[in-house]
Amino acid sequence: MNKTNTGMKEAGILLPLGVGFVMASSNDLRAAIGMGVAVLLALFFSAVVISALRKVIPQAAHLPIYILIITGFVSLIQMVMEAHFPGVVNMLGVHLAALSVSAVPYRDAEHVSGHMGEGPSIKTAIGTGLLFTFVMAVCAVIREILGSGSIWGISIPFMQDFRISALSGVFGGYLVLAIVFAVMRKLSGKKETEKEDVAA
Amino acid sequence: MKHTDLVKAIALIVVIVLVFSAAMFGLNFYTGPLIEANNAGAVYGPLLAVMPEGASFDGDAQIYAADGSVPTTLVDVPATVTAIYKEANGMGYAVKTTATSQYSKEPMEITLGVDAEGKIIKVQIDAYNDTEAYDFRAKDPGYLDTYIGKDSALADVGLVAGTTFSSTAFKQGVSDGLSALIANGLIAEGVKGDDQLLTELIPSVFPGMADPTGNLKAEPIEVDGAVAAYKAVNGSGFAYIVPKGESMVMAITNAAGKCWVYDTEENDVTADNPDAVALATAHASANQEDFNAAAQEKFGRMMEGAANMIALELPRCNTVVAAASFDVNGEIYYGFYSKSYGYEDMDVYVIIDAAGAIAKVDAKTVIFEQEYFAYQNPSISSFDPNAYKAGLQGLGAIWSPEETAKVEISGATMTSNAMKQSLGDAFVVYAGAQLTEPEVSTNE
Repeated sequence: MNKTNTGMKEAGILLPLGVGFVMASSNDLRAAIGMGVAVLLALFFSAVVISALRKVIPQAAHLPIYILIITGFVSLIQMVMEAHFPGVVNMLGVHLAALSVSAVPYRDAEHVSGHMGEGPSIKTAIGTGLLFTFVMAVCAVIREILGSGSIWGISIPFMQDFRISALSGVFGGYLVLAIVFAVMRKLSGKKETEKEDVAA
Repeated sequence: MKHTDLVKAIALIVVIVLVFSAAMFGLNFYTGPLIEANNAGAVYGPLLAVMPEGASFDGDAQIYAADGSVPTTLVDVPATVTAIYKEANGMGYAVKTTATSQYSKEPMEITLGVDAEGKIIKVQIDAYNDTEAYDFRAKDPGYLDTYIGKDSALADVGLVAGTTFSSTAFKQGVSDGLSALIANGLIAEGVKGDDQLLTELIPSVFPGMADPTGNLKAEPIEVDGAVAAYKAVNGSGFAYIVPKGESMVMAITNAAGKCWVYDTEENDVTADNPDAVALATAHASANQEDFNAAAQEKFGRMMEGAANMIALELPRCNTVVAAASFDVNGEIYYGFYSKSYGYEDMDVYVIIDAAGAIAKVDAKTVIFEQEYFAYQNPSISSFDPNAYKAGLQGLGAIWSPEETAKVEISGATMTSNAMKQSLGDAFVVYAGAQLTEPEVSTNE
């Protein structure tokens, strides 16, 4: 896997796979950061273990073993978060546990960690984790300020009369995600074009 | 899958399960106590907020749960009380209670801290579910603090003007919380002062100074010689609490200036309290608004040919602020001007014939905020006030269920109750007026 795949272009594939937890955690910045850290850690530890075991995992047993490893790490992360960030866990609800069966870590495991060494796997995991954290944080800032009139749970008095409450809901979530997604695609397209121009 | 791969896969799965199980088992030693403390904090946090510093609640703190989730020996707990907790060091109790007013979307959720002597430590609202426009915390930010240090008598704890229903509901919720503790001997009952007892008596002896649900509708005023005094919001009269020796009595005056005096037992002690009567009548005569001229003009417009208007005495303290007899073509009629409390203040004019049946009813506005009610009940949008008023003609003092239905307006309970109060009060004054039946005019 080349570097481009872990960059903006990769977002085009990854974001739709993780739309569930992005939506669930992007109406509050605290939830977005919490989920972002959980995704980052789950991907990181899964990448370390799966890439280390890649040669001993039989081809036919990839799926159950990857799921077991990812679920194990998600459970451990959830235990630590429940102990130290119970408010964030409450905000995320079932979506934190559902991260175990999200297609994002499984895709990372199947496409990267299962075939490559620890170095590239860890780099990819960190890149993917940071990408999701960034996207969720951007969506959360937009949705929390415009939808709830607050930021990091702190009310912004000026915004109380201008709240667009639809942005806090599912519709607003998809709308904001679509806009952020479109902006990222545009930026990604520009980069690719520039690279092609240089190559030419 | 090859046999060796199968064995390898099974072995790998077993190892992974064992490793993660061991990791979770070990991690739980660290996270378990923290998670338990977090959960306890979520439950006890709101309770600790209403208790003094140093208070704590242990696992056996909850001594009552309305849903029956904990065993309890407590009895006679009001339905509004949802949970009671006992502080671990004997500092007192935390009570979770609810309150519902006419404007409640959901019950208000209240947490109340009470010390071992029955004094309120602090009270807070965990969820305010009344209409935001009637949020008494916004109208009077210091209102909750007026409960601090009070016992179950809640002496000097008033209501918030403009949010009477919501603040009354809140006060009742707090009172229910204290009642639950008193009923089970956990705290002593507070003793009410005479002035408080007499103030609470006002809706009973002076219904004109209260809305149909018994909420006091009066503003406190300063009167020399009175411990406390109130002016009815609708102008129907005054109440004066005056000292008498070591106790107190209450004098009330209606819109016609007639005065009665009551003691704390609700006994009529007018004859024994000439000083109280003198104080009340002197203040009332100087300050009571006269509604007779406006009322008689209105009666004249309602009944064409009305003549010989004679103002009548008001034998009761109710919502009727003016009454008159008059005749129309030799027939005697009685007009009553009632100012009752509906969704907003009402002005209701009732004319009753000599046979005791309603001849005409008029009201400045029957349905207030028609759009608001229409939103809640679409049938209101087709409500015809003129047909409604015409339908009241012929009603006597006592109504059959069918006649009662004519007075009620579906979807407008508060206005319906106010109309009932106005019509009922008119008949009460009418009954008194019949004792001094006026002569029919012979001018024709």
